[in-house]
Amino acid sequence: MLKRQLMAGTAILATAVMLAGCAPASGGTDGDGTGTVKMVSWPGPEGEAMAKVVEAYNDGQGQDDGIEVEMVLLSRQDTFSKETALMASKSSDMDIYWTASYNVGQFAASLDPLDGIDTSSYFPVAVDGLTYKDELFALPLDVSNHFLLYRQDLIDALLADPASVEKYREISAEVLGTARDPKDPQTWDLDDYKAMAAYFSQSENPESPTEYGTILQAKNLLYNTMVWNDVLWGYGGNWAEDGEAALNSEAAEKAVQLYADIYTNKWTSPDSSQAEFPETQAALQSGSAAFAIQWSAAFAALNDPEQSPEIAGKMAIAPVPGGQTHVHALSVSLNKYSKNKEAAKTWLSYLATPDAMTQYAEAGGIPAMPDVLEANKAINPAFPQVSESIAEYGYSEPVFPKTFQAYSKLAEDLSGAWVGQVPAKEALEIANNNLQDLLG
Amino acid sequence: MSTSLDTRPALGTRKRAVAARKRSRTIAAGVLSLPLIAFAAVFVVYPLITGSMTAFQASTLFDLAGTFNGIDNFTSLFTSDGFAKSAGFTVLFSAIVVTVEMVLGFGLALLVNRRFPGKKVFFTMILLPIMVAPALLGIMFRLLLNGDIGAIPALLQGLGMSVSLFSPDSVVPLLIVLDILQWTPFTFLIIYAGLQSFPSELLEASAVDGAGYFRSLFSVIMPVLTPVLFAAFFLRAIDALRTFDVIYVLTAGGPGTSTTTLSIYIYKAAFESGDFGRAAAAALIILVCLIPFVPFIVKRIASTGMEKTK
Repeated sequence: MLKRQLMAGTAILATAVMLAGCAPASGGTDGDGTGTVKMVSWPGPEGEAMAKVVEAYNDGQGQDDGIEVEMVLLSRQDTFSKETALMASKSSDMDIYWTASYNVGQFAASLDPLDGIDTSSYFPVAVDGLTYKDELFALPLDVSNHFLLYRQDLIDALLADPASVEKYREISAEVLGTARDPKDPQTWDLDDYKAMAAYFSQSENPESPTEYGTILQAKNLLYNTMVWNDVLWGYGGNWAEDGEAALNSEAAEKAVQLYADIYTNKWTSPDSSQAEFPETQAALQSGSAAFAIQWSAAFAALNDPEQSPEIAGKMAIAPVPGGQTHVHALSVSLNKYSKNKEAAKTWLSYLATPDAMTQYAEAGGIPAMPDVLEANKAINPAFPQVSESIAEYGYSEPVFPKTFQAYSKLAEDLSGAWVGQVPAKEALEIANNNLQDLLG
Repeated sequence: MSTSLDTRPALGTRKRAVAARKRSRTIAAGVLSLPLIAFAAVFVVYPLITGSMTAFQASTLFDLAGTFNGIDNFTSLFTSDGFAKSAGFTVLFSAIVVTVEMVLGFGLALLVNRRFPGKKVFFTMILLPIMVAPALLGIMFRLLLNGDIGAIPALLQGLGMSVSLFSPDSVVPLLIVLDILQWTPFTFLIIYAGLQSFPSELLEASAVDGAGYFRSLFSVIMPVLTPVLFAAFFLRAIDALRTFDVIYVLTAGGPGTSTTTLSIYIYKAAFESGDFGRAAAAALIILVCLIPFVPFIVKRIASTGMEKTK
């Protein structure tokens, strides 16, 4: 018996020694500046656009540089989780990680800062969002922000019909306490947004052409915190003031209450408690909602007759009511443990050129360079609005090491209140305490 | 005069031969066990040791090396609402779905254990849900149940029923129904396999003794199938307590934390908060809570079941 136990113990020990041999890399190396560069990306418009840029580089400039870029697509939902696992094991498998302004602070310990990159061509807000402790940790690639996407035909019909205007005044008086005239969405504030949500909902106005005025993205998801932040910022709020959590403000309470009012009054689908980007698209495409605060990448698909046969040509774009839009940049970063850093840097330098970003725009991306957007407005009619709204209304949330956790935690703490399950004040108190812990 | 007819080797030689045989058997056993030992070492022992060590460390994305922090991770879990809530939801969810799946799986197995036209087609149809990857099933449900473009709400609306399947009031029942739809085929399959090897003479004997269908079911079939039922229950319970994919895809644990399972809690702790220490501590607590049940269940599975009919 003892012998068997000894043998088993020896086998386990041997295996453990073998496993120890598989220990992760302890540090990166520069390499000889050539060879294969492995870069993470995610599926969707950004990954597809990047694939075209990679292909063009491998067929052209890459031949001269002696570098071949290999793009590794992970799932859109779990790219950052998988990267987290790679970083936790100090893996050198990937030379370049897919990052974003909302997680670059969290990942910074596993990334090399990017020195010597000329950032003057980028949106300053994109560069700011990727700068952590005064160092740039990622190269801006694609900018995402929000717009009010709305049915132009329905708004035009409302504005042109005196009876509808009168009905709107009635409803707005009921909802806001004072009667308002309907306005062009380009000039809406958050009260107009609320009154319009009521007017276009059959629960409030049985004659409404749509079942619901809007669709809220209220799922417990970090990206939905970004959408809600527009309302918070629109009311003059912020996450923090002078390093202290500021979600106990009046603005924060108004922002949560706006969501709760819209949800509990059925001015959005009851299913919006689990809605995010795709559900918002579906509500607009099916014609069940008249408008929504939605990501910039959505507009092209909504006006595409193949993807949105019922509403293509009827959709228009306006700034987010309240005049504030979250901006984040999707980006690429250099893995601190890469074994081929020089070649990776060469590829990153190429990506930072207007030529590469023009290819990226042509392939369907939204590059973070205003001049490139302006020069390519023929490709995507939303480009000028993207430029204008980021320059005029864009803000980025505070960047601190736990920004990523803060987005998730806020979604967790507030999503119940967004749909009226928890009183706004109670949820905000919890959220504020948790945010303060994360701010440190 | 006596002549020895014993042609066996001397005692010492025999002992040596026995010892040699024993040695060679031990070596053979050791060699044959090596793959299993290696498997256990790589996939059980090593992760368990690493996970347990991580549970006592402040190991985050900001401090990958990890520093020993005693029981801080456990204290933080026991004092946080989130862990207790997710544990409560997981236990309740698992208890409901496993009970219903066991009853339905048993009923279906009894039904399919008879001859009827179209049995093979029916059998295949029942098994379809377990052939689909859970995460994919989540995505399919997300599309099928979408209030604006989903087939199921459209069908219900056609029947004059307006239901919001994802509203906070209906989302938990919805998740329970989806889990039952997905996993009842699993319990059915195990119990059906047990029924296939059921000794028919027992049923014949009980019929001769005048037992009716339900008397035979409760006094003969169920006792004999006890190990099979426990195996199905055990496997499903373990799986239900680890539920992740479909719920994560559909609700991500919300609204708030109302549908957060322990697996989702651990996943978020590790991959959203980057707090590997707290995630490992939560996983270790679950393991410690579950281990005491294992001998009890294994004993039931290992029993023959036949003893109970005697």
